[in-house]
Amino acid sequence: MSDDVDTAFDLVACLERVRVNDQAAARQLVEHLHPLVIRIVRAHLPRRVAEEDLAQEVFMKVFTRLGQFQGAVPFPHWVSRIAVTTCIDHLRAQKRRPEFRWADLSENEADVLDAVLTSENDVSAGDALAARELVDKLLNQLKPDDQLVVRMLDLEQKTLIEISELTGWSTTLIKVRAFRARRKLQKLFEQLKRKERS
Amino acid sequence: MKKSTTAWQRLITAARQAPDISGDDAAPYGFSTHVASLAMAAVERPSLQSALNHFSWRALTLSLMLMVVSIAANYSTVPSVVEVEQEVASDPVAEYLTLS
Repeated sequence: MSDDVDTAFDLVACLERVRVNDQAAARQLVEHLHPLVIRIVRAHLPRRVAEEDLAQEVFMKVFTRLGQFQGAVPFPHWVSRIAVTTCIDHLRAQKRRPEFRWADLSENEADVLDAVLTSENDVSAGDALAARELVDKLLNQLKPDDQLVVRMLDLEQKTLIEISELTGWSTTLIKVRAFRARRKLQKLFEQLKRKERS
Repeated sequence: MKKSTTAWQRLITAARQAPDISGDDAAPYGFSTHVASLAMAAVERPSLQSALNHFSWRALTLSLMLMVVSIAANYSTVPSVVEVEQEVASDPVAEYLTLS
């Protein structure tokens, strides 16, 4: 959605119309919010869940809870929070992934992992996609809440305040989860390194 | 510990450079119409559970308010009734007359 469309969109008027069950306004609201929602959903998409299904669930929650929106925070923030909590619920519901193994990695991913484990040099930019996929696989080994915190902190580089606003968790809890998650990742790296040597 | 942390940092730094290949962010054709119609239908037909939820909270609030108002309005009569009952209890003749 272009910036022109964004600036031209009258959110307040649209919300007023949605509140009196104007279906055209509801459609406009979905189109306006879809980029925001789909980016959050894609970033925290659980395995075996279609992104459109999850996006639809988020929008249904937005519409059914619209009466609770008091305007204390900007509407996109309120929607973002619903999207994040919906993703967390789905992540919590999914079963833990089986043990992470070298054999499950693609050739590129194995090369990247080998590089970060054995070399102090940075991974080449050409391997960025493989690195991204590898990060996703490693994060899937963590508990859903820890996974979400590390993804937001390290990958999306959000601040503690931003994460707190999106999740409703205190900054202390976020720090604790980040610490726990990084310790788990560290153990995972050590295990992988031992297995590589053996 | 430092070594592993560095490994994670190197990996995450590389991952951040990955291009976004997730595709268009705009809603796919028909998505907004479908979601809007579902949402409007859900809003127009609230579920029995949500209706019960809504009304039970209202009923509870109303009954609590009535309870407080009735206690406040009748509080002055309560001590006098207690006094009369105590007097009746201590006087067997008065008790007999009350019963008859």
